Amino acid sequence: MRSLLLKLGVVVVVIVVIVIGWQNRSTEPPVWTDAEIDVLRSLSLASLPALPPDPSNAVADNAQAAAFGERLFFDPRLSANGGIACSTCHQPARHFTDGLPKGQAIGTSKRNTPSIVGSAYSPWLYWDGRRDSQWAQALSPLEDPNEHGSSRLQVVAVIAGDDAYRSAYRALFGEFGDISGDDPVALNNAFANVGKAIAAFERTLLPVASRFDDYVDAVADGNRQQRESLFSDDEVWGLRLFIGEANCTQCHNGPLFTNNEFHNTGVLSSPGELPDKGRVAGVQEALADPFNCLGDHSDDPARQCAELTFVRTGPELIGAVRTPSLRNVELTAPYMHKGQAATLAEALRHYNEAPDAMIGHNEAKPLELSTRELRQVEAFLKTLTAPSVPNAI
Amino acid sequence: MIMETTAFRLFLSFVVSAFFSGAVFAHGGVVQEDDLCVIKVNYLRAHFKIYQPRVSGHEQFCEDLPAASESVFVMEYQHDALKGMPIDFRIIRDVTGKGRFARMEDIEQIDDLGSATVFYQEAVIEPNVFTVLHEFSEEGEFIGIVSATQPDTSKVYAAVFPFEVGFTGVGYWPFFIVVLLLLQLQYLVMSGRLRRWTKGRWSRAASSLLFCALLIAPAAPVSAEDGELRVSYSTPAGPPEINRIHSWILHLESADGVPLENATIEVAGGMPEHDHGLPTQPRVTKELGNGDYRLDGMRFHMRGYWEITVTVVTAEGSSVVLIPLHL
Repeated sequence: MRSLLLKLGVVVVVIVVIVIGWQNRSTEPPVWTDAEIDVLRSLSLASLPALPPDPSNAVADNAQAAAFGERLFFDPRLSANGGIACSTCHQPARHFTDGLPKGQAIGTSKRNTPSIVGSAYSPWLYWDGRRDSQWAQALSPLEDPNEHGSSRLQVVAVIAGDDAYRSAYRALFGEFGDISGDDPVALNNAFANVGKAIAAFERTLLPVASRFDDYVDAVADGNRQQRESLFSDDEVWGLRLFIGEANCTQCHNGPLFTNNEFHNTGVLSSPGELPDKGRVAGVQEALADPFNCLGDHSDDPARQCAELTFVRTGPELIGAVRTPSLRNVELTAPYMHKGQAATLAEALRHYNEAPDAMIGHNEAKPLELSTRELRQVEAFLKTLTAPSVPNAI
Repeated sequence: MIMETTAFRLFLSFVVSAFFSGAVFAHGGVVQEDDLCVIKVNYLRAHFKIYQPRVSGHEQFCEDLPAASESVFVMEYQHDALKGMPIDFRIIRDVTGKGRFARMEDIEQIDDLGSATVFYQEAVIEPNVFTVLHEFSEEGEFIGIVSATQPDTSKVYAAVFPFEVGFTGVGYWPFFIVVLLLLQLQYLVMSGRLRRWTKGRWSRAASSLLFCALLIAPAAPVSAEDGELRVSYSTPAGPPEINRIHSWILHLESADGVPLENATIEVAGGMPEHDHGLPTQPRVTKELGNGDYRLDGMRFHMRGYWEITVTVVTAEGSSVVLIPLHL
């Protein structure tokens, strides 16, 4: 009896050793094919096109407007209690996020604070795309009772009452007009201009190259030694999974690792809240926004506005939210639109399982990756961390 | 042997009660049809599911709920009329004494509906998907009442569904085994694993059939005399790139090269492998002459295989041409 137990014990130990060995086996990293190198290049910052123009904002590329907008971005006077600035939630040191599941300002905001870096490339702003330009977006938190809790009247009064702001404003936009509130058009115009200055600053926030970008250069140059010194085997395998079996580049594509489109990935609702309707509601808000590209305050005389004109609605957008960029993802936890995933590992586990969505239809399919493979994808994602923060102030 | 008989009887009673609850509420209640939980509000139907995200994650329930916890009720309309109807949602404690057999007549006899009510969502028109959230503070027997008002006639349709929160009155262990077996079956069904397993096979078979059909089907002719319709396209701003909105020039001509003028064109597209459409709604904005048409609002958001379908309508008839595209 005892010898049988002993034998059984030995068998169990051998199995455990084999399993652990298999889990941690070392495998030669793959040799990239030409097609894969092409994909890697498409993800590198070197492939980032020039900033798309924003014809709805005449001062979008004006350096003075950016300097003015930068001061506004950090100014807590643009809030009901004098304590909340844009930078309260969009903290430069945290890649313009706040490390919280949902933004905390005057109250708790509706969703997770997204980074602003590279957002000039997105045709839609917010998780549900309810604004169609950076300047229209910048206006919205100022009047959100849970965020800045201010009003356009108060915001414009702060600017008109500050000598430096007043002269910066006049140099860019001319006279204020009647901003007492008696003339809503003049007030809305001045308010829109505040958003346009903030947007001019936000437009300058662009991603900084990471170890991944250096690795792509080394791969493209055929520099094996540099390639091997830049990426560990696990990181290489993780990248292989990222562009292959794990299907990540279906949405996280291009040099910003986002297609800026809307997808339902079946994330669980946030505690105490209904499942987020996402884009299906956001698109209606964008179309109705008086500050959108087709509105009276747009500077585009031709009103081209292709994204807004050819926008799509429909039930596929139920529960769909915008793909976030993965650059610096290691430093922008928690993840998902309500911060439902505390860690990268948790977010990856979610995609590996791809459960049925509570509302709408989960576009993702279960990946069936092993825990080892998930660790490798996570290792790769950490290579997207930039050594420095853009526009560190 | 005795155990098996007991289990079998319990199983049988489950089947019988399921049958009866289905029969009783066929005119307005929640029923399990195949693998889908359906709420019938008179003739109007919606896919019905309940979640307890804090205790059961993504698991779906049809009626009974395992715990007194945050519960999200979801109705996904199968009938478009519901999109425009004000719908209200009420949950009451079961004060009818009828349990599983409570119906609308019993609800109407309750004197003080207000004091029995634990949750009430006032009537709202919800065009996409109807959701409500209620956190149950205690276990017990409850009744859900969903009413939808027909806006034109002001006629009210209602569905009544009794349900239990927390498994109460559970006897001895063989019963547990049956419950576990059923839960496992329900999990397989409700989690969609069974469905995915079968659906995967069906959709693969269907898509390969469709692919074969596409291979053998030529582009439909505009009319018999003109022969087949040919559609070609060019992209003036360079080859299509992902994540960039751009325009196409469509060129339409017959098989013998005669340009097609005055056509009405509709364009749709998507990725058949990923089950989704284009991210935008492109439209033909201008006829340029010589069979050329300007198509605005094209954008692709993923690399891979796309299919663009061009539906062309002229005085002679209509045809659909499929443009395959590898990005």
